[in-house]
Amino acid sequence: MIWQQLLSIASSYPLALRGLGTTVVVSLIGLVAGSLIGFAMGILRAGGNRLISRTIGVWVDLIRGTPFLVQLFLIFFILPELGIELEAFDASVIALSNLAACFICETVAAGIAAVPKGQVEAALASGLPQWHQMRHVVLPQAMRIILPSLVGQYVLLIKDSSVVSAIGLTDLTRVGWLVVQRVPNGLLVFAIVGLGYFAVCYPLIALARRLERRMGAAHAEVQL
Amino acid sequence: MIEFRGVNKWFGSLHVLQDITLSVRPREVVVVCGPSGSGKSTLIRCINGLETIERGTLSVDGQRLGDPETNMALLRTEVGFVFQQFNLYPHKTALENVTLAPIHVRKTPRAEAERAGRDMLAKVGLADKFDSYPSQLSGGQQQRVAIARSLCMRPKIMLFDEPTSALDPEMISEVLDVMVAVAEEGMTMMVVTHEMGFARKVAQRIVFMDQGSIVEIGTPEEFFSAPRTERSRAFLGKILRH
Repeated sequence: MIWQQLLSIASSYPLALRGLGTTVVVSLIGLVAGSLIGFAMGILRAGGNRLISRTIGVWVDLIRGTPFLVQLFLIFFILPELGIELEAFDASVIALSNLAACFICETVAAGIAAVPKGQVEAALASGLPQWHQMRHVVLPQAMRIILPSLVGQYVLLIKDSSVVSAIGLTDLTRVGWLVVQRVPNGLLVFAIVGLGYFAVCYPLIALARRLERRMGAAHAEVQL
Repeated sequence: MIEFRGVNKWFGSLHVLQDITLSVRPREVVVVCGPSGSGKSTLIRCINGLETIERGTLSVDGQRLGDPETNMALLRTEVGFVFQQFNLYPHKTALENVTLAPIHVRKTPRAEAERAGRDMLAKVGLADKFDSYPSQLSGGQQQRVAIARSLCMRPKIMLFDEPTSALDPEMISEVLDVMVAVAEEGMTMMVVTHEMGFARKVAQRIVFMDQGSIVEIGTPEEFFSAPRTERSRAFLGKILRH
């Protein structure tokens, strides 16, 4: 029985590969775009301008305080009402990029705030313009602080990408739904789907752990 | 060179600088001392705009602070600042620490900035530490890198905010020696310190502050041998007892 089901599942491997590919591509685009936008937002959020910082803060809170599924529906079903037609793929990438940007923004802003004030004062006192202070003094130090949690965020976002199956994008999770209609063994099918996600996420988890250990060592060195 | 006129500053309800009037001439070395919380650090932090003043005027090298005409970034390149906690960039080597501002602010070509940086580090006695990171250096060595970092900008004024207070006793003299050498080259300096030996040796004037006001200004001889006020006598009694 199980053997037969396994064979049947195995026969849908081209579909599964396509789903895995979609998950990876959507996640990758979402994370790259989200990182770029998130870093820019984080720098502005931590920067001096109150109005800009507040505006970003409100947006980030809105996005962090609502379910990703709802955000995805809003983009996919509501935007067309306003005349903006989107493919499921585009809507997914936009929604995930936005979600990633908001989480990364808060991480980056927290990292910037954690850089000792004396560092900024030293850069300021030597006449470095604001952008150079950020680029040469603050960001490199903030990066060392946030890198482990940033990688952790990436893992969470990859898993969040499974939500895009809800608007019909054939990612790994949706492949699971499709297969389970043919092979009535949800436990088996979704265990395999889970393994697929794990295979993508585990290297990142291992990387985060290594970075964290390296960071710990680096900090021990600084505090002589 | 530095001109305080009726300067006042508050932190909330705390009146940290009260009617400060003081002028520092070119090539003069002024030591600022006083009990903690007397406003001496705030005083010199105002000079390069790390703190802002609320009332009165403060001019540095002929330019008024807080004036929209004054380019603060440009002014700061003329004023070196040495911090109590060194504040070296931990992710950069000694040489990168001293060349960062010359390269990105003065736009000095990298090779030239590095040559000047090596010369300056050698001058403060760190010829063998170009590629060391701050965490690999002792406190005294870090503070000497920090002084070199400021000097590499060829400033007209050097400010020191308790440069030896965070150091182990055996490292204090190596930093003071560098500061004496800078003073002897004719740098205009304001130094917040309790190192009275240094004050005696290089200061032309000593400013004694208490509770946000300047209580007494005098030459080192006057100040040490015949302090004019009760408060300065009490202060000297405490720090010179040992």
